[in-house]
Formats: sequence, C-alpha cells, structure tokens
Amino acid sequence: MTAASPPIHRETWIEQVKKNLFRNWWSGLITVVLLPTTGYLAYRAFKFFFINGQWEAVQVNLTLFMQGTFARDEQWRLIAQILIFGLAFGVGLGTASGAAHDRADDAGLVFKRSSLADTLKRMWSLVAFIALLLFFASTDETGNLINPYLVVAGGLGLSFVGYQAFRLPRRLRNLGWLLTMVLLVLGFQVVSGFDAESWVPLSLILGSAAYASVPTEMFDTAATRQAVKVLAALGAVAVVFAIYRVVDAPGIGWDEWSGLHLTLMTSAIAIVLAFPLGLLLALARRSTLPALRLMATTYIEVIRGVPLITLLFMGQFILGFMVPAGTDLSDITRAIAAMTLFTAAYVAEIVRGGLQSLPSGQTEAGQALGLAPPTIMRRIVLPQALRAVIPAMVGQFISLFKDSSLLFIIGITEFLRVRTLVHAQAAFRGVAIAETLVFVAIGYWAFAFAMSRESQRLERRLRVSR
Amino acid sequence: MTTEQTPEVFADATRAVGEAIIELTDVDKFFGDFQALKDINMNVGRQEVVVVIGPSGSGKSTLIRCINRLEKHDAGTIIVDGIELSEDIKNIQEIRRETGMVFQQFNLFPHLTVIDNITLAPRQVRHYPKDQAEEEAMALLERVGIPEQARKYPGQLSGGQQQRVAIARSLAMKPKVMLFDEPTSALDPEMIKEVLDVMVELANGGMTMIVVTHEMGFARNVANRVVFMADGQIVEVGPPEHFFTNPQEDRTKLFLSQIL
Amino acid sequence: MTTPQTTEQARPPFWRDIRVIRVAGQIGAVVVVFLILNWLISNLINNMNRLNISTSFDYLFGPTNFQIPYDPQFNPRSPVWEMTLVGVKNTFLAGFFGIILASIVGLIVGIARLSENWLVARLATVYVEFFRNIPPLVLIIFFGFAVFTFGPFPILSESWEVKAPGSDDNLLLINNDRWGVPGVTQDGSVAIFWAILAVGIVAAVLVWRWRTRNFDRTGQPHHRVLWVLGVLIIAFLIGFFASGQPFDMSWPALSENRRQVVGGFEVNWGFLSITIALGLYTASHIGEIIRGSILAVHGGQSEAANALALSAFQRYRFVVLPQAMRIAVPPTINQFLNLVKNTSLGTAVSFAELTALTKTSIGNGRPAFQSIVIMMGIYLAFSLIISLILNIVNRRLQLVSR
Repeated sequence: MTAASPPIHRETWIEQVKKNLFRNWWSGLITVVLLPTTGYLAYRAFKFFFINGQWEAVQVNLTLFMQGTFARDEQWRLIAQILIFGLAFGVGLGTASGAAHDRADDAGLVFKRSSLADTLKRMWSLVAFIALLLFFASTDETGNLINPYLVVAGGLGLSFVGYQAFRLPRRLRNLGWLLTMVLLVLGFQVVSGFDAESWVPLSLILGSAAYASVPTEMFDTAATRQAVKVLAALGAVAVVFAIYRVVDAPGIGWDEWSGLHLTLMTSAIAIVLAFPLGLLLALARRSTLPALRLMATTYIEVIRGVPLITLLFMGQFILGFMVPAGTDLSDITRAIAAMTLFTAAYVAEIVRGGLQSLPSGQTEAGQALGLAPPTIMRRIVLPQALRAVIPAMVGQFISLFKDSSLLFIIGITEFLRVRTLVHAQAAFRGVAIAETLVFVAIGYWAFAFAMSRESQRLERRLRVSR
Repeated sequence: MTTEQTPEVFADATRAVGEAIIELTDVDKFFGDFQALKDINMNVGRQEVVVVIGPSGSGKSTLIRCINRLEKHDAGTIIVDGIELSEDIKNIQEIRRETGMVFQQFNLFPHLTVIDNITLAPRQVRHYPKDQAEEEAMALLERVGIPEQARKYPGQLSGGQQQRVAIARSLAMKPKVMLFDEPTSALDPEMIKEVLDVMVELANGGMTMIVVTHEMGFARNVANRVVFMADGQIVEVGPPEHFFTNPQEDRTKLFLSQIL
Repeated sequence: MTTPQTTEQARPPFWRDIRVIRVAGQIGAVVVVFLILNWLISNLINNMNRLNISTSFDYLFGPTNFQIPYDPQFNPRSPVWEMTLVGVKNTFLAGFFGIILASIVGLIVGIARLSENWLVARLATVYVEFFRNIPPLVLIIFFGFAVFTFGPFPILSESWEVKAPGSDDNLLLINNDRWGVPGVTQDGSVAIFWAILAVGIVAAVLVWRWRTRNFDRTGQPHHRVLWVLGVLIIAFLIGFFASGQPFDMSWPALSENRRQVVGGFEVNWGFLSITIALGLYTASHIGEIIRGSILAVHGGQSEAANALALSAFQRYRFVVLPQAMRIAVPPTINQFLNLVKNTSLGTAVSFAELTALTKTSIGNGRPAFQSIVIMMGIYLAFSLIISLILNIVNRRLQLVSR
C-alpha cells in the first residue's frame, strides 16, 4: 500500500533561527537588542544565585521559615500532618482517577491515566521548591528532629500507596471519598488536637455519611426510612463524640502557628469556611425573593468594593468589640474570620457564574418531572454548576493564598513576616535582605504557579468533556 | 416549515376519546405589558391527541407551559385531572407528577447517564427502590428503541436518540398527560421520523397528548383535533380532515397557505 | 402588571400557599439577618461605652497630631479630615500612575506574547508567569527595600546620581529614600504660550477633519496623524519662542548638608515602589487579557480580512484590534479596580495613602470603628465610580445584534 505522504521539509537550525529570530528587519533589531540584555541579566542573576548571594540567612533559618515560632519540640505534629495529608492526597487522587475510569468505561471511551512522570512535570515548580528546601536542609546545621529527606519521601510514598490502593471498584467508591475527608480532618487535628471541643468536623462527615449510606430497603414506608437514616446519623455523631471525649488529647491551636505552615493553613481554612457561605450567598442572589436578593447583593458588592486589608483591620480593631465582653478572640482567629468573610463574596460570584451558565431548561425539566425544589438544586443544578466552577475556585484559592501575605501588615508571623525575625538576629541585621525576600518570593511562586497550571488543565478538561 | 420533509406516520383511528382531563377556562397570561394568552378556553379529553399549531410568538408554548406551571397564568382556571392549579404547592407538585413534558431542546441532564436520567424522578419522587426503577427504565428504553444506550451520557447520543430518552424519562413517572413542546424542531431532518414514530406509538397506546409542532403530517394523521392559535388566542379548532381541507377563518387560511 | 383573578380560587391552607411561603421566607431571612446585625452592633456599642470610647465623629475636626511622611506642607495641627483627604489624594495618585504603567506594560506584554519572534514571546511568557504568581505585597517590599541591595541592580549605599550625557546635570538623583528627577519651572509669560498652543490644538482638529473629508472624497491616503503632529509641533514652537521661552529645566542636586534633594521634581520612594510594583503586577494580568482577546478574535475574522486583501497592519488596525478591545476593556477595568484596591498596601513602605494614614491615626488614639468605616466608605466610592465607568463603557461597546 502506498499512501501519498506530505512533502517533508526538515528545517536546518539556521533556517529555524532565521525564522524565529530574524524574520524581518525589525524582528532582527529587537533580537539584537534583547539578546545581550537578557544574557547580561541572566549572568547577573546566576552570579547572585550561585556566587554572591548570602544564602546562609535562609539556610540557617530554614525551620523558622517553614514553621515560624511553632514549638520545636512539637515538630512531630507537623511531620505527622505532612504524612497524613500525603496519604489523603493519594487516596483522593486514586478515588478520583477510579471514578474517571468508570465514567470513561460507561461511555465506551478509552481512559488515559496520567503517569507519575506527567504529574511531577506538571508540578515542576513545587518539585523544584521542595528540592531547594532539601538542598538547604542538607547543609542546615541547627539539627532538625527528623531528617527532612525522610519526611518528603514518607509523604510521597504514602500518597503513592494511597493512590494505588484506592482505585476501588465502583460500589466502594464513596468509601474512598469518605476516607479522604476523614484523613484531612485527622491530619488537621494531629496538630490542632483531639480535645473535647473538636469533635464537630468529623461527626459532620461521618454523620452525613451514615445518613446517606445506611440501608433502608427493608422498611416499607418513607417515614420509617427517614427515621432510620436520622437515627444512624445521630448514632455516628454519638460515637465520634464519645471517642473524642475519651481520647481528649489537646494539641497546638492555630494561635500558635506561624511561618509557611500558617500561610498554607489559613488560606485552606478560609476557603473551606468561605465555600458554604459563598454558596448560600450565590443562591440568595439568584433567588426569586427580592429581600434575599437585595441582602445578598449588598453584602457581595460592599465586600468586593473594599480591599482585604480594610477587612483585616476591621477584624483586628473592631471584631473583638462585636462579641460580648470577655470573649477572647485571638489575632489569627479574627484574621481568618476576615479572610473568610472576604472570600465568601468572591466565591458567591464564582458560583453565581456557574449557576448562570446552566440553561434554564435544566430546572424546568426537573420541575416538569415533579421533583421538589431542593431535589432539583441538589441533584441537577449544583452538580453541574459546581463542576463548572472548579477552575475558578482554584483561581480564587491562589488569590487567597497570595493575599494571606497581608497578615504581615497586621503583625501575624506568616511566611513573609518570618523575614523580620531573621533580620532581627544579630548575624543578619541589615544583610541578605534581598536573599530572604527572593526565597520567600520563590516559595509563593512555586505554589501559585503549580496551582495555576492545575487550574488551566482542569479548565481544558472541562471544556473537552462538555 | 417544509411539508415535503414531514415523514408520513399513521395512527390507529379507532381511539376513543373520554371525558375531559384538562380544562382551561378564560386563561390569561401576561409577560410585563404583553398579553401572551387571551381568554383561552379549551378542554382535552382522556386519550385525546390535540395538536396546537400557529405562527411563532402566537402563545402555543406558553399555553402548554402554563398547564404544568412552568409559567404562572395570571387569570382563569386550569384543572388537570380534577386538581386545580393554584397557589397551593401540593396541587402544583401533584399536577406535575401527572403530566410529562418533552422539550424542544431535550433538556436531558448532561451529568447523569441515560438510565440515571430516567430513574432520577421515580426514585426521588415516588421512592421506588433502585432495582425496580432501573427495571422499568430499561423497559421504557426498549419501548423507545435504544436499550443499548442505557449507560451512556446524553452528550454521546444523536439528537433523535436524546429526544427519545427525554420521552422515556417523562414516561417513567407514569403520567396521565404528555405535553410536547415542539419536540422535533431542534432535530436534523433524518431524525424526525424516529421521534414521531415513538409519539404515534404513544398515541395508539391511549396516552392523552397535547403537541405543539410544525409537523403537519403528524397533525393530519394522528390528531383528534387541531387547534390554531394566533396572537395569544385560539382562532380555530377542528378535526384535522376538516381543518386542513376547509378552514373557516381568514387567519387560518393565510397561515396554511404560507406553510403548505 | 397583573390582572385580577376572574374566578376566585379555593384558598389552600396557608402552609401550602406559595404566596404565603414567599412572604414568610423573606420575612424570616430579614429577621435573622437583622438579629445578627443587631447583636453585633449592640455588643459594639456596649463595649465602646464600657471602655469609654467615643462613638461620635467629632474626632474628624480635632488635630491630626502627627506629621505625614514626605509631606512637609502638611501641618500636624490640621484636622483629621484633612489628613483623610491627603490619603485620598495619594491613593488616587498611586492608582492613577499605576494604571498608566500597567496599561503600557500590559499592552506591550500582551502583544509580545503573540510575537513571531521566539525570544520576545518567551520573555513575555516568563514575565507574565513570574509576576502574576507572586503576592503584590512581596513585590512592593522588594521595590521598597531590596531592589538596590543585591546583584542585578546597582547597589546603593548613600547617594547615587545619573548624569545627563555631556553635562553636570543629574537626570536621576537618589539620596537614601529621596528621589529627584528633572522638573520644569515656568515664569510669568506662560499664559501667552498656552493661548497659542490652544489655537494650535483647534487648528489641529480642523486639519484632522479636513484630511478625513479629503480621504472620504478622493480616497487618497489621509496621513492624518502626520498632519496633526506637524501642526501641533509648529504651534508649540511658535508659542515657545513668541512668549519668550517661559519654561526652564530644573535639575535635582544634593543640598549643602548632603541630606536633602533640592531642585528638580522630588518623588518619594514609597510612592515609586508601590506604583512600580503594582504597575508591573497588574500588567501581567492585563497582558493575559490582551492576549486572550486578540486570540479570541483571530481565527475567522483574520481570514475574512485576508480574503479582502487587507495588509497585516490594516488587518490589525481595522478588524482584529477594534474587536479585541471590545472584549478586553471590561476585564481590564476590573484589573484597574484591583490595582486601586491594592494601593492600600502602602503602609508596608510608609507611603501615606488612605489605609496607611488611617492605621497611623488609629494608632494615635482616634476611634477605630469610625476611622475604618470612613476608610471603607471611601474605597467603596472608588469602586462604585470605576464600576460606573465600566457600565458606561460596556453599554457603548455592546455590539448591535439580535
């Protein structure tokens, strides 16, 4: 069989250079000007990074940058957190990948799993940042409790194990999601403690899981089924409550957190708390009830009209007065409250965009089938709308992560403010100012860049699957 | 609106029409200052097939959307199977359960498989166990001729297949009345017949149907009565043989001359 | 508009009546929100009364009691409201110049991202990916404290001068945190100059119209820009010499004690670092908007333009850019709004904008609640004005379509 093949013209490198750099006279001129400039800047940057830079300021204080003033002899908690989050990440990813695989099978498509190498390549900025940390750590002589190499290897290893182990069959899929959420809570509480007050998140998760999954087919009436579900949920809550009461192991609350750990955790906590609030606001703004619409719109537009720092000031100076006298709210609690209230308005606008992107026919079809409004919302509208807004939500998280640097201004020792501690040390007073700042910038950049890559990828995939 | 493309479909003419199941009395509907429906009076009997035709913007779709409260009528009464459509949400939900609706744009739920689309309402509203709901859904898919597509997503089906799934989805609630809002208008010509065939089979099975359509072949061969609407009013009603051969009103004649 | 029901319907029990449910839902929501707000505000007032903090706005007319950095004209005995106005002015200035910088750099970067020159496109990509993934506060601190302390940039210890070629005049003078650039001074006869220039501008408009009419009539190239520039330059020269050269350059120099900058135009370092940092940061976002907008138009529209045999420049000027701008303008204005809000980080580099001054003022014992409410109100006003502009622009840009 002889198929006609297109004429192949392999370009020589000279032709390529000519095409890409000297296509016409002005392109050539720009190249001639830019090439030496870029070269010179690259040379100076190289010299700064590898020859002149006083990186001891970062090296010696690496632990300080990572965990700030967090008690050193409680460091095992942070390490345990990294390991548990690593496992949770793996389990979640494995479950998601299994679900995607099933969907593809249903649809009769070939499922292409992204390889480990692809994932690492996508996340290259984070990989590079961790490599940088390990490089600094290897020459750190302050003596960490546990070898950082082991921590990183343990986190990656656990997430790999989780990923492989939790590509479960379809009927166990929800177990994977449940375990992911439980691990996230446990990972959080291994630092914050399993004391008598912190039973709420886990009982919410396990309670709703019990409500949704308890078998009720053997009961005849809808009322009995409902009663059994509620009983199961209450039972789960009671068990969780009892366990927390018995264990009662206090930890280190977020008031004592700082450094990069605090930066990452405040952003995560604020977006998790802001999500339900934003969802409610979005639904209220789309509601047909004018009073709800007006209140939600006012809130959203006022919050979006002011800078975050004014809300943080509000939290610092006023929020303490807005609760009954004697209630003690820590700086970090008030800052998280301000970030949550701020982010909720933006989340609301994102979710509203997702709701608006849904054709009205979807709701109408649900109504025509006689579904109750909450069922239409839960089963038809939200699954589609929330899926559509995932990339924008990641974008909002990036923005919140960057904005968490504003805690610097209200005097909370997050990642950026660790610098002031470093430069207060006798050895680094007034020196290596650029070095510490460049290190912090690289840290922010690595996380934000990796996440923005991921959000772009999600967006492309959503567009394809539509 | 090309009649030559309309496939020929024939119905069993021996269908017996029972007492009224839908009664509309003096129904008005406004959109702002625009009156979309003016004094609509119409009854539809059990097992009757009524085809509503008319120029675009004449209120045909609004009429059937008022019957299951997708639009709220502003005056008059609408009674479906003895239940009056009022501000009572219980009545509204009951009527919606007894009427199925098929849309021009199908409106399948793209995030659910075909079988989940069909079983959603029976499981959520009628509280059927999963197995029973899926069994019935498969039977309905057999009936509309696409059982092999059960596990696919709507986006993977052709327009005609999607519309047949939409019909199956409505039938899963075992409605007493089916409303069709231009069910073939969004379809490519070669897919129209497969949907019309399903509708004819439904009519022969004794389903009460109100069909808004431009398919004159369907109207001529399947309808018990044809209703012609213009400017929000019912201009003329009659059995198809009479309606197409000997229209009484000038407005009807003009419309028929434009499309035939 | 609704018409009355012609037939009275049987009223359903109230808990099933949609109208009742709707009203009850709204009342319930309003009551809940009201109760929460009421609780918060009554707590606030109780606590403020308990601690003897004034709840009035009288403090606005009391003295500010501190010196605004880099603003020697400001008198610490001036009332607080004057300080607030200084803050508003500085916020506006930083926002204004930041927007100009961001627009210029953003436009260049956006177009450069699509350049056929590999190096240009690469550098623009690096620029965008670098700047938009770093917190603006880090950039502000970088330009405020770190930029002249390390490698790629000249290291400044005490004072640093850039001389104009072939003379002793300073083009740029940096002495610690004081920056001087050449300024312009004017004398009395300047009014004549402006009058002649005004006549020149009127003439330029007329020439523009004339060239356009000529182009419409004959189809000959109009060269409007060249003609108008020519007219303006001639008017400028005539005005400059006819009024006896009313302008003079003033060069910055160090004062006797080598601590101050005299002459020229003094810019303060806080202002510069915040303007540059936010300008460059926002430019990375604007660049992406410009690039996206051009890409969104490109395909079919470019083909249509090619089919009409328009040149590459004409294709951009008449087909691609006008449509791309239509897409780009609304999100760009949003970025401007973000930039203005981000100027509130000025306190990190002691730039006396609204937030920094409010913070200092609270630190000086002014009541926090009132100060913050006023500050938020002012930012809200900024935002509303910009959204208003955005709405007007949107309405103008909307394509006429069915």
